[in-house]
Amino acid sequence: MTPATGSSQLLAFIKFLRGKDVPVSPADTLDAVHAAGLLGYEDRTTLRDGLAAVLAKSTFEESAYREAFDLFFAPQHPETNTLGDAKDPQETSTSEEDNHQNNNAPANGSAASLEELLQNPTAQDDPALAGLMNSALMNALQNGDEGTLAMAIEAAAEMAKVDEIRLFTQRGQFTRKLLDALGEAALRDAAIEFEKTQPKAFKEIQRLRENLRHRARDRVERAYLVHAAGDTEDFLDEALAEVRLANISPHQMARMRKLMDRMARKLASRHGRRRRKKRRGQLNVPMTLRASVATDGIPFNTHWRQIQRKRPQVMAICDVSGSVAAYAKFLLMFLYALQDVLPRTRSFAFSSSLGEVTDWFSDFPVEEAISRVNRVYGGATDYARALSDFSDLALQDINKATTVIILGDARNNNSDPRLDLLAEIKAKCKRLIWLNPEPRLAWGTGDSAMLPVTQHCHLATECNNLKQLERIIDTLLSAMHGN
Amino acid sequence: MDTTLYPQLDDVNAISTAFGEAGYICTPRIATVVYLAAALNKPILVEGPPGVGKTELAKTCAEVIAKPLVRLQCYEGLDEAKALYEWKYGKQLLYTQILKEQLGDILGGAKGLKESIQRLHSTGDVFYAKEFLEPRPLLRAMEQDDGAVLLIDEIDKADFEFESLLLEVLSDYQISIPEIGTIQARSKPMVFLTSNDTRDLSDALKRRCLHLHIPFPSIELEGRIVTARVPELESQLSDQLVRFVHAIRELDLKKAPAISETLDWARSLVLLHANQLDSGLVHDTLNVLLKYEEDIVEAEGQLGKLLKIADGL
Repeated sequence: MTPATGSSQLLAFIKFLRGKDVPVSPADTLDAVHAAGLLGYEDRTTLRDGLAAVLAKSTFEESAYREAFDLFFAPQHPETNTLGDAKDPQETSTSEEDNHQNNNAPANGSAASLEELLQNPTAQDDPALAGLMNSALMNALQNGDEGTLAMAIEAAAEMAKVDEIRLFTQRGQFTRKLLDALGEAALRDAAIEFEKTQPKAFKEIQRLRENLRHRARDRVERAYLVHAAGDTEDFLDEALAEVRLANISPHQMARMRKLMDRMARKLASRHGRRRRKKRRGQLNVPMTLRASVATDGIPFNTHWRQIQRKRPQVMAICDVSGSVAAYAKFLLMFLYALQDVLPRTRSFAFSSSLGEVTDWFSDFPVEEAISRVNRVYGGATDYARALSDFSDLALQDINKATTVIILGDARNNNSDPRLDLLAEIKAKCKRLIWLNPEPRLAWGTGDSAMLPVTQHCHLATECNNLKQLERIIDTLLSAMHGN
Repeated sequence: MDTTLYPQLDDVNAISTAFGEAGYICTPRIATVVYLAAALNKPILVEGPPGVGKTELAKTCAEVIAKPLVRLQCYEGLDEAKALYEWKYGKQLLYTQILKEQLGDILGGAKGLKESIQRLHSTGDVFYAKEFLEPRPLLRAMEQDDGAVLLIDEIDKADFEFESLLLEVLSDYQISIPEIGTIQARSKPMVFLTSNDTRDLSDALKRRCLHLHIPFPSIELEGRIVTARVPELESQLSDQLVRFVHAIRELDLKKAPAISETLDWARSLVLLHANQLDSGLVHDTLNVLLKYEEDIVEAEGQLGKLLKIADGL
């Protein structure tokens, strides 16, 4: 790659990276161009390491970056080699024959063979063919001149407006357009002409055409990834955020994880670590002395170490019985993705008995932790037992900085849910939030004890898709850090 | 590009060699980032699990370029007065008391309030001059005449607000002091920030730095590190030891041993004149490698398997 094509490639790559959810600022772009200029484009590994330092700012971004780099700067056109290697036996034998006929043939036998094959008076007299043979594109193709080829393909891509591709299914159409813009038609005509008369030359031309088509398709697919894949992804994300959490199938989990992480990051940065300033606590001696200079050394105005560190705490109690388990999973995943702003989250799981599962979440990956929770605490729901277990375990730790979130459908198989315990929790904590995956209309129907429950909560709300979950946690965080 | 200041850092391969000679085996990745940092004048944000040599990288860099290392250890509650500068209030107060008499001389013969004030103004802000300034690590690094290495250690321990305080230093290599003005760095130091990833750093901070993540090393690399750092250890034992540590990292542990623990262990084995890892020796010295009782119990339960792997079986 030459520096000139390099930096335009680099800009395209950065656009591609942004599509992969790695935010790259214009300043980063400048740095990347500088860094690439310093490191040169020759050594792929050095370039990859160097650009990683400039473009990827966290481990998450780094893995996305590496994936993108390998995809975008695929090792240069392997098909030139693979095609050469994977020639069928018959073809190999012909090129061997060629080499026998002409001992001076360059090492790259196939490159010279077309001219060799066309050492035929009739072909040389044909002006169209002679023109074809002398075109820059043909020369580049035969000599493996990557720079010229890349430039020709870029120019043709511009002409064919390949970057306007929006749908995956348009790939074929755009590849055709790109090939036409490249002037591949001449090659095709030559192939038709030679098919009967000169089988060897025909094979060679077909090989070059195949090579060219590969490159064109690569270029189009890259254009799709850069310019359109992002839109499709956004569309899928948008749709996923509104799907009922219970309906999310395992194959969508990876995307779901990403989506949640992104939401969590957004929430975390929005709520940051806000601190309240207070006029109390420890005396700030330097500040007071400094102020006292103005009053002849008499500390007239006192200054205090004003930062009051807020220690918000969340306790999440999740029903993991069959009906609500899926929702519990997402709530817990979300809370743990928010470790940054909610460092002291404690989680409890129950169906009949209740237990603390905080350590599992710090010790194991989320999926593993959740499957453990389901294994140990799954079963038939008993809110009375769960609430009394919770009171024994954690009631003494609840204070006015604690938010308690309970996730459950409040369906207690018609037995007493012990709402007195709930009232006690409410009295001690800052906020008691009940999330119910059932739609509001279903509350209170059948064995649902949701209606009395609502009276004992600061907030009782329906929560069954990611959007609602995000909104609830957003309000939770602003209430926590705001006042 | 300021090649004159740190000529030792103007080539990727030279960096690898120089750091290697100083006892720090760095991957091409690390060398590339150090090179870019010197060439682009940007700080490096080093992340990775504890004990993989983040702090050591800065120390070695200082050694290689033969410049002083200015270190700022971060902690919760670290503020401007501890990191940037502080006024010497005591001195200011003392001087005002002493200079009270001088005031009479200055004001002597002044007619009316206006003239007195004018005379006072003409003396300037004597008490807010550099002489009353107590430089803290960041300012000290800016004041070095010909380069320095500034190490801001464990930035993730500091408060969120402190990061904003750093931005001016990191992007422009300057510090603004309201009473004096802006102090430019006399020479741009090499800046290293380390983070153990206990919390996400702000985007603004990350954007100003080159990002370098140092993971646990590969078997081959760790072998080279052990050889470089503990040359007394026999090579056969060192191979065994590194394979053992790698096997132990695969276990389900609370805290996996890092390079620093591997090196400590290697040193203890040298002290014990060991020449072979066997279950008795491992049993006695495992506490050097693992820091939690439950981890030790876990590892001891699988000692046979681990030793087999260590023997290359």
